[in-house]
Amino acid sequence: MDEQLASTLASVFIDAEGIHVRGLAALPGGFSRETFAFDIEVQGGEHAGELPMILRKDPPAAVAILETSRLVEHNLLESLRANTSIPISRSYCAEMNPDVFGERAMIIQRMPGNGQTSDLFHDGPDTDQVDDVVRHLCEIMVELHETSIDTIDPHGELADPRGVGIDASSWDAYMDTTFEYYIDSYPTLEFDPMMLTLLDSFLSLRRNKPRPVPLSIVHGDFNPANFLYEDGKVTALIDWENTRIGDPREDLGWMALMDVLSNSQVMSHPVDEGGFLAYYNKLRGLDITPEELGYFTLFGTANIAVPVNAAIARRTRKEHMEFLHLYLVQSQAPALMSFISLLDYPGVPA
Amino acid sequence: MITSPTIDDMLEGVILAVETDILPHLADAKAQASAQMMQSLLQGVRQLLPVYESSLVEEHNAMNAALRDAAAALADVSGPEADRMRERAASLGAADDLPAPADPEQTRLAHVARATAVRDCLYDLDVMQRAGIQAADESLTILRAMLTPQYLHYMATFPMQGGMLGRG
Repeated sequence: MDEQLASTLASVFIDAEGIHVRGLAALPGGFSRETFAFDIEVQGGEHAGELPMILRKDPPAAVAILETSRLVEHNLLESLRANTSIPISRSYCAEMNPDVFGERAMIIQRMPGNGQTSDLFHDGPDTDQVDDVVRHLCEIMVELHETSIDTIDPHGELADPRGVGIDASSWDAYMDTTFEYYIDSYPTLEFDPMMLTLLDSFLSLRRNKPRPVPLSIVHGDFNPANFLYEDGKVTALIDWENTRIGDPREDLGWMALMDVLSNSQVMSHPVDEGGFLAYYNKLRGLDITPEELGYFTLFGTANIAVPVNAAIARRTRKEHMEFLHLYLVQSQAPALMSFISLLDYPGVPA
Repeated sequence: MITSPTIDDMLEGVILAVETDILPHLADAKAQASAQMMQSLLQGVRQLLPVYESSLVEEHNAMNAALRDAAAALADVSGPEADRMRERAASLGAADDLPAPADPEQTRLAHVARATAVRDCLYDLDVMQRAGIQAADESLTILRAMLTPQYLHYMATFPMQGGMLGRG
């Protein structure tokens, strides 16, 4: 692997006299990609010195949870770096020839900062930073949502990155085609009939479409584990593979759910602004209500639930024997509680 | 409760994961042996589970009969030992046999059939609700009210504690 990495990066650092790879090690976390950390020593040329790197590899197709393109992610990262101040990794290259690393892959900059974001909450060692970090996180999300779609995605790669028939030409078209995607996908993700609360949510979402807001670039997996921080600032927003055009309230809704499931408290900060939603509303003036947040918790969760549960269903049918997918049966179960609560099932404890 | 993956599927998955994800990375001989013991124990649980309840019932009923028959064989014997044998036959051994438990696979299939029917109701109710039929709202509420304790029980029985393991 070291040789392939050095060879690939030689085509990026074309003025380097030599590239040496060190310390390649698999990283835990991240359910959809195989991630490795390593360092390179660049000898000679403009970038001479030590550079921290990440290799993000697709898993084998049978066990893939999200079918996304490393090339689209590469283009997105570079576009965001060029056009926004969002702290983000540089993407050095996307290697779309699976023969090189065994699967399609990309090499990105390893950013500084603490990724153990649970340190910010409860009795963690960095609770003194939480308000500043989450304030910055909110400001980053506002910048992402307010950046022109055409600027970030001039070739329309983010309109329907899964190729499932999403029409992002207007808010109504986006919502209607997404409802159809969710509902039509249900048979593929129903690994057990008791998943029917997902179907109930998909049908309920379609029956109760809320007011429109302008579409935007959405991160697509904005959750408490997908940022790094240091000295009261976010140093990187990470995991951009599910980014697409969508309703910005999806990012807030997904964060609200994952905040509960992760036992973190992002949505409660910054305290002096009345929490994440209040601060976001102050910055954007959209006046997103708690009811809308609840709606988009379901809607945004559905966007992840469709491919995740479809992957679990493939494992349950024993199309592959990956252990992670069995674990996901358990780890996604608390989401069902959130679903029946948000759908106002009678008898759900407050 | 979910019925797929089955409990056997989950145990099988853990055994396989120990084989492929854990054992190749264990350098310590004692740790390797412990991992293999875990696999063996889990395989034992896999084989126990499907027959455990029915075996208990069958053995319970057989012991009832044997307590009675063993005491009857001592009908002409006197003495405190034989009296205690007869006393056991007259008390525990005289109890009714336990009913045979339902076949777990039949129970699972019956559950699947009902859950599938409830799911299909959701599709039909959605059509009616979108057509403005208000009674469909009440009908959906009845189904949701039935489901609530089932999901609560599932969550309480199969809890996911400590957040999302493997993430930050």
